Amino acid sequence: METQSIAFSADLLRRYDRPGPRYTSYPTAPQFHAGFGERELREVVASSNGDPIPRRLSLYVHVPFCESPCFYCGCNRIITRDKARGEAYLARLYREIALVADLFDRDREAIQLHFGGGTPNFLSPAQLGEVVETLRSHFRFSAAEDRDISIELDPRFVDADDIAALARIGFNRASFGVQDFDPAVQAAVNRLQSVEQTRAVVDACRANGFRSVNIDLIYGLPNQTPEGFARTLDTVARMRPDRVAVYGYAHMPHLFKPQKQLDASLLPSGETKLALLQLAIEKLAAAGYLYIGMDHFALPDDELALAQARGSLHRNFMGYTTHADSDLVGLGVSAISHVGDSFSQNPRDLPSWQAALDEGRLPVFRGMRMDADDVLRADLIQQLMCAGEIPVAALERRHAIDFADYFADALERLAPLAADGLVRIEQHRIVATSRGRLLLRNIAMCFDRYLDQPAAIATPRFSRAI
Amino acid sequence: MSDVAFPRHNPRVLADDGTELRFCSTCAFSQACLDEGMDKASLGDLHVLVEHVGPFRAGDHLFREGDPFEAIAAVRAGTVKTYVVDHDGHEHVHGFHLPGEVIGLDAIDGDRYPCNAVALDTVMLCRFSFPKISVLATRVPGLQKQLFRLLSRDIGRAALLAGDWSADQRMAAFLIGVSRRLAARGFSANRFQLTMPRTDIANYLRLAPETVSRVLRRFQEEGVLQVERRELELLDRQALEALATPVLRG
Repeated sequence: METQSIAFSADLLRRYDRPGPRYTSYPTAPQFHAGFGERELREVVASSNGDPIPRRLSLYVHVPFCESPCFYCGCNRIITRDKARGEAYLARLYREIALVADLFDRDREAIQLHFGGGTPNFLSPAQLGEVVETLRSHFRFSAAEDRDISIELDPRFVDADDIAALARIGFNRASFGVQDFDPAVQAAVNRLQSVEQTRAVVDACRANGFRSVNIDLIYGLPNQTPEGFARTLDTVARMRPDRVAVYGYAHMPHLFKPQKQLDASLLPSGETKLALLQLAIEKLAAAGYLYIGMDHFALPDDELALAQARGSLHRNFMGYTTHADSDLVGLGVSAISHVGDSFSQNPRDLPSWQAALDEGRLPVFRGMRMDADDVLRADLIQQLMCAGEIPVAALERRHAIDFADYFADALERLAPLAADGLVRIEQHRIVATSRGRLLLRNIAMCFDRYLDQPAAIATPRFSRAI
Repeated sequence: MSDVAFPRHNPRVLADDGTELRFCSTCAFSQACLDEGMDKASLGDLHVLVEHVGPFRAGDHLFREGDPFEAIAAVRAGTVKTYVVDHDGHEHVHGFHLPGEVIGLDAIDGDRYPCNAVALDTVMLCRFSFPKISVLATRVPGLQKQLFRLLSRDIGRAALLAGDWSADQRMAAFLIGVSRRLAARGFSANRFQLTMPRTDIANYLRLAPETVSRVLRRFQEEGVLQVERRELELLDRQALEALATPVLRG
């Protein structure tokens, strides 16, 4: 990889710090529509079963509850301390699992199971074990060496015994939210969490044979300073997680209500935000982490880094994954599925999701079928996000297009980015430079057909790029 | 994919209709036109007989078992599956009909279709009234010859998979068969789409669906072919031919 040192002028910053999708999918969720419902989902699953070698399955379970509100949160979650709500939720979830599993041919193996939220450990290890068992009784879990069961954990509500219990159930990857250890930042975002607490659970994962541990950090939070964030980065690097994600905070209170509780006057300036990001890149690189792309870093022997080197890295709603080419089955409120060339999403509010299941319906409320153009652009953006380059010749072959002709408009939009040194346009590929790799979404946006449409521009639905 | 002509990716060129004197490139009767002795008048007669029908959508039935037999039809675009349902309600796939191939030939004997025909994707047909084409065939020797040729091919194909073949041999014979049939119509022999779902392939080959996938996965691991969703590329044709030869008898 090229040198990690990057120099941005204030002018560049202004021009590229604009709202854009994170491209965990293309097309992005705003393109989903109500015309795609239960019937369409049944059709696409049936068709996916009909492939000569049907894809394996990645299962995602959404647990929407959190005991305490973090003010930066943009996720779909419900704040409650009432554990009975978890039980009621699971009763519906098991109904959904039965309904959905029935659509898939029995020989399709599940290669990945991920729990996200909200806070998945709002559920007890015993409850999580019951969910895994229920899934095992409805899906055939792969016996392959790389089969993963992963979970996002809030270190404040989990201890070493819980980790041991999760390991016994079969969990082998964990991701911990940290954001920042700076007490002033923690107070401003309403999330107090000690270094000791976090280190204890990270160590417990190691002791219990977890294959990898990830730590999430966020830059751009209120009260955040380069000094404080530097200490956090040093502390995290010493914990030696296999992966680190450093997300940019997106302040969009008109979309994410919890963010209204956050004091916007304490947010760092654009220049400080960029300094924080540069700090993260330099510190993590110095500590031996490789930049994977889009906020993610990994140790060289971690499977993400190895997969990237092999060219088999993949990106989906769960972030980066080594499990390319699986159909994604989302379960639980607001969960998104990606089967064949379709996307579908469950209702984002609990009552609608429950009502559908109580009536014995598949709880899909919107989605879309991708057309050939969507499939092509999704392929392009996937390659850009995972390999840091657009493989022009390979795309021409795979999709039977003349790249220069097909993407004439996009290439015009890309020209200023090339002039600014974000991309290098070669004969058979377009490469993101070290500077450009930090602005992958700006590059991807040049190829996003839907950003041209007024609906996408009218209200900022996406967070800023930096 | 420009070199994958089946099914055609561009709906605007779903089928090449040809002209009065030069029929569709995929037409089952184009051979008859090319045969010597066909004068322009009889070519014209044949073309007038053709009724272009469709498009049919995936799942549409073209005819059902027991429907009165009136016409045979050549597939102009898409794939047609023929099948019967037994007394226990189990489906038995008779065959898949690719562009340029004719359906309804097995009805000539009786006066009703002995099976069901369903479109597996977007299908266009050339329909020939059987009484009319029979009359024309008495005047046009080339046409009669072509009809007999089609009939004997239809009978031969049905018998191929009746033997005691292994799963690998059946699968290889199926792929080589499809490849040869597509190549004969000018499509790519080594890169094509399998428009039929694996349950239909399995049913036709008398294998379990899991076995179809297992065999294909192994072929893929051995570098014999590459599967990406419904798209297939034959990488080691010789290996497949070797497996298929005893089944296809050549």
